[in-house]
Amino acid sequence: MKSIKASGIGNPIDRIEGHLKVAGKAKYASEFPVENMVYAQGVNSTIAKGKITSIDTSEAEKQNGVLAVITYKNAEKLKNYPKDMTNFSLTTVAPVFQDRQVHYYGQYIACVVAETFEQAQYACRLIKVTYEEETPDIHLDKNRGKAYKPGESADFSRGDMDAGMREADVTLEQTYTTPIEHQQPMELHAAIVNWNDGKVKMYANQQILNQATTSISETFGIPKEDVQIITPYIGGGFGSKLNVYKHITMATMASKMIGRPVQITVTRHQMFTNTGMRQFDEQEMRLGAKKDGSLTALAHHTTSHTAKNLQYFEACGNVSKMLYKTPNNAVTHRLIPLNIQCPSSMRAPGEATGSFALESAMDELAWKLKMDPIDFRIKNDTQVDMGADKPFSSRLLIECLRIGADKFGWENRKMQPGTNKKGNWLIGYGVSAASRRAPYMKTSAKVVLELNEAAVNANIKMDATDIGTGTYTIVAQTVSEYLGIPVENVKVEIGDSEFPVTPGSGGSWGAASYCNGARKACENAIAKLKKKQNITESEEIEVAELLQQNNLTTFEAEGTAEPSEEYKKHSVFSFGANFTEVWVDKDTGMYRIKRMVNVGSAGKILNPKTAYGQIIGGLTMGAGMVIAERTQVEPNYGNFITRTLADYHVPVNLDMANIDVVFLPEDDKIANEMGVKGIGELGITSVAASIANAIFNATGKRMRDLPITPEKLIEAGLEPGVA
Amino acid sequence: MRPFSYTNAKNKEQALQTFTKTSHYLGGGTNLVDLMKEDVERPDQLIEVANLEYKNITKNNEGGYTLGGMLSNSETANHPDIRKNYPLLSMAMLSAATAQIRNMATNAGNLLQRTRCPYFFETSMPCNKREPGSGCGAKDGMNALHAIFGYSDKCIATHPSDMCVALAAMNAKVEVQKTDGSSRTIDFTDFHRLPGNQPEKDNTLEPGELITVIHLDEPKFSDHYYYLKIRERSSYAFALVSVAAGLQIKRGVITKAGLAMGGVAHKPWKFTKVEKYLEGKKPNKVNFKAAAEMAMQDAKPFEGNKYKVEMGKKAIVRALTQAFEREA
Amino acid sequence: MDEMEKWKNGSDTDQLSKDEEKIFDEIGLNGTSRRKFLKQMSAASLSIWASSYLTSDLLASPARTLPDNPEILLNEVRVNLRVNDMVKQLALDSRTSLLDALRERLQLTGTKKGCDHGQCGACTVMVDGKRKLSCLTLAATCEDKEITTIEGLAENGNLHPMQEAFLKHDGFQCGYCTPGQICSSVALLEEAKNGEASYVTEDFKDVKTDLKLSEEEIRERMSGNICRCGAYNNIVQAFKEVHSGDDEMPTWEFATAKQMEKAKNS
Repeated sequence: MKSIKASGIGNPIDRIEGHLKVAGKAKYASEFPVENMVYAQGVNSTIAKGKITSIDTSEAEKQNGVLAVITYKNAEKLKNYPKDMTNFSLTTVAPVFQDRQVHYYGQYIACVVAETFEQAQYACRLIKVTYEEETPDIHLDKNRGKAYKPGESADFSRGDMDAGMREADVTLEQTYTTPIEHQQPMELHAAIVNWNDGKVKMYANQQILNQATTSISETFGIPKEDVQIITPYIGGGFGSKLNVYKHITMATMASKMIGRPVQITVTRHQMFTNTGMRQFDEQEMRLGAKKDGSLTALAHHTTSHTAKNLQYFEACGNVSKMLYKTPNNAVTHRLIPLNIQCPSSMRAPGEATGSFALESAMDELAWKLKMDPIDFRIKNDTQVDMGADKPFSSRLLIECLRIGADKFGWENRKMQPGTNKKGNWLIGYGVSAASRRAPYMKTSAKVVLELNEAAVNANIKMDATDIGTGTYTIVAQTVSEYLGIPVENVKVEIGDSEFPVTPGSGGSWGAASYCNGARKACENAIAKLKKKQNITESEEIEVAELLQQNNLTTFEAEGTAEPSEEYKKHSVFSFGANFTEVWVDKDTGMYRIKRMVNVGSAGKILNPKTAYGQIIGGLTMGAGMVIAERTQVEPNYGNFITRTLADYHVPVNLDMANIDVVFLPEDDKIANEMGVKGIGELGITSVAASIANAIFNATGKRMRDLPITPEKLIEAGLEPGVA
Repeated sequence: MRPFSYTNAKNKEQALQTFTKTSHYLGGGTNLVDLMKEDVERPDQLIEVANLEYKNITKNNEGGYTLGGMLSNSETANHPDIRKNYPLLSMAMLSAATAQIRNMATNAGNLLQRTRCPYFFETSMPCNKREPGSGCGAKDGMNALHAIFGYSDKCIATHPSDMCVALAAMNAKVEVQKTDGSSRTIDFTDFHRLPGNQPEKDNTLEPGELITVIHLDEPKFSDHYYYLKIRERSSYAFALVSVAAGLQIKRGVITKAGLAMGGVAHKPWKFTKVEKYLEGKKPNKVNFKAAAEMAMQDAKPFEGNKYKVEMGKKAIVRALTQAFEREA
Repeated sequence: MDEMEKWKNGSDTDQLSKDEEKIFDEIGLNGTSRRKFLKQMSAASLSIWASSYLTSDLLASPARTLPDNPEILLNEVRVNLRVNDMVKQLALDSRTSLLDALRERLQLTGTKKGCDHGQCGACTVMVDGKRKLSCLTLAATCEDKEITTIEGLAENGNLHPMQEAFLKHDGFQCGYCTPGQICSSVALLEEAKNGEASYVTEDFKDVKTDLKLSEEEIRERMSGNICRCGAYNNIVQAFKEVHSGDDEMPTWEFATAKQMEKAKNS
């Protein structure tokens, strides 16, 4: 099909919804004007484990404007978790107030509904609760005996690790730790819910609508068709808006109870306790290599935690199965149940943390081998995913590393740490290799064509979401491309669960899935129109002409795209390389990232402008992992002592510096027909290691515990062997 | 937030007369409104004083300047007379918070900032400052951000202000209006207090006293000044440790030194002894290092904040060096 | 119709802004087809040519009057809020922040609630020309003050140059911190003109006006607006372009066939 060059795929057009965003007119979940709406607020437990013995809501109920206080006493019965450990999936129910038990600090124990936000907020403070408190399990160290293997996929081994270590000329055994982190998208979780005659309709910032409606319908025992979620814009997700959290349940229950639409906006404090997090990970790495740099053994053992009643498990070690060629490989994962809220996906779950351990360890081993860390990685490159025993559909990691090295000026790096100085600054260069699975999932879309004189307008509908990822724009470009019409004639309607089903936004599958779904709908429309006129498939003809020949002013078609058999036979990944220059103050422990270069091979780049945004966003969040992001658990009470954005330091503008991004031209039709691969998580993968490696190169201090704060740098000693 | 009545005071008399013991004066609100949302502060009346007349910067009789209490931090820090005569103060004030917050925060309010101790902010935690008698959660809990000087068994919180660290290094006086219509002047070093047995009291103000102006001494550190702020991210964060250093140097010798540290005590920590030690000495690395050792020798850190001792020394040497090396 | 009337009737939100008119015109949608498209808009309608104010839905109605019901308010305060050159008298709970007054009472939801505690900058508005945080500002204190929100930056239907620059340089992703970033940037232009200093300013004693801010200065001065999507680079570029008038170039590129060849074979 003829492409409209200026606006089809591959062009850096401005975001099509951008006008609304810069004008403040894009409407997010809590912002729709809804008549008769009231406000709900959740109340959190102040113990980490125990039982509610009494809950006095009388004072709260007396207040002006208060309409209801919901607790376990008056809450309706919902579908609850099964008795045992439940796997925390995207469709898991979200019961609330079903019993007196408290499993973690900050668990919702009550909900106030009032005429105004101020009234609801205040009444929450007046609820008096007493508990029968039990000693919570909050320390990983004290509960190691409870560690368990979360399913068969948790362990993997190939060859003989011990033999591989014996064979090695140089070995490395180190442990890397990453703290609890929080996604903290700028938009608070929020919803406006209206329960009406057994049906529920809500504006809610959920990343995956089809799974969210399942979760809500099962929680309340109503048909899935009776749940509608509308979410035109989502103010960031980073994984925290994948699952249905209990504020949705509270607001739904409240609306049902009082018969009015209910708005709930989770507080920023509750964004720490009630909407997911990345768990603490302890990763033990064992690596061995021959003098020439070839790896003989690689082991990656992860210990982390989950909730007492819900299991969330992310595979930090997976990266060690596939990134490098090694004959002997062992990967294990263990979980310890604690009285801390259930972890959840945060941007590149598993990869972001796992790659920090692996890519730091690779840097350490290169140093021990006296090898350039890029050469060391290239030496161990593989075109086969040895963990899955499948070929990669495409892997351009070596190109990423070499092109990045040129762009960055890697040849100026000093091998010996602490030798590149400028005034009070110690300058260091760091590199890391990145990989992120590029999934592609079944996706449907519906396209409606409308002939308007000689022009065709197309309206594409799907239940996709745009969490800042650029969905609107790349879908419009896809439709423009496959229909051969200007992008301005494409209207994208997403964010409504009543539209055709997509896998939603998450896991880096959005772009590939959405665009192929949209493509398929367009292709079907054209094929049907051609068939009606007995036009052969290969004949080139304008879509306007097709409609005219069919004597139609409007026409609609649906399409569903899904992975091919070839896709299933391959390992499909995006690859990348990160380069960072860091300046560390030799005395104060403060440091600045001076510049970054990222090279990405992520298939067909649909729109380099929005793709660049995804990459720098990932790099910034990855920089946050290193700079200061860390949620700390109070050792005596089990609450998060890090409870606000003044305590949880995400990167600010001054923390970042210029970032150059190079996209590699990659044509991977095994990945999917359009050759699109995910890029939303590639950017965060391993960037933490590239910064930590740069800090080592600057200072000679090997920092294995994130974040790398000034206090840690001041206390750290030099690595053995550094002069 | 608890319900409260709101009064916009037209003049100081109205503010003072309206005050009751459960009232709170409202300046920029950057700290107070936050703490009210957290349910830490629970006034039943807010008296807005931000519109009172104390919004000027004027020359005073001591050869220095007087800052209006209701003037915003950004207007103060950017005032040409302040930048030229007290660049240390400008620098410290501009290291604080963000442009938005500095546009709101008043000078008087800055002095009254409350601690950022997380136990103080979280109402479900013990905190003697918020709720006398409930205990100090930080002492046996997480104390990385806490005091190493001058704390008590009851409280180990730190004072969060940057402006106040500079004021401590510079010598200043705080003028307050009492509810009976009289006024008094407090030496800046006596304005904030150590926690002792009454950590709920951050300063020596009596109930209802209203800060109207801050008097600055004649400028001494306009040529050699530096405010070093060490923090977890490069901006928009409270200090782990900060140092205000001012030097007056004549013919290669330090004739006057100002040195104070933030993030280490319940009040801005002024090193009076070290200032005296430096006076008459040459401004060099050896003397700066000796000063740093002397300054930190009485530090008594906790498990979580041992790093502050070494960080404090490094910060003092760096701040003094930067102050000295600054082109006059 | 005078401004008060327009406000009351909510017609400023029902009608197309000049920008939207322009978009319609650019894409050639006129008369009946324009009306038809508007009619077709469904609940989540998010097209490029319509403001989301045009959204029609069973749940949503264009205006919200609740709760002008004085008996449920304790400590009621009456405030004349002057926002974007329009004045609206509101009866408010004394506890109401400027942020909540804008969002929940005036439907000016462009100003965002990111943390409600002064820790993110999403709620930045201009009060008497100065950027401030509306979440820590009590609405009661705003009598007689001139408040400018993101909705008030466009003039005669044209986006403010800063809004245009953010669009061009992709200075946002999810868009939630964007109104705050833009209000902050617009105020910063003025601060630079006035010669205001920042913590990273080299010499505080060197007082002058019409500053040309370095990248370091821009980053420090924009650090009060957190962007979790991490669009800082693009925000800096957008600001620079308006501040200095220079065209800022993107910092992405595609590897050439030659580079690919060299990398593969070296």
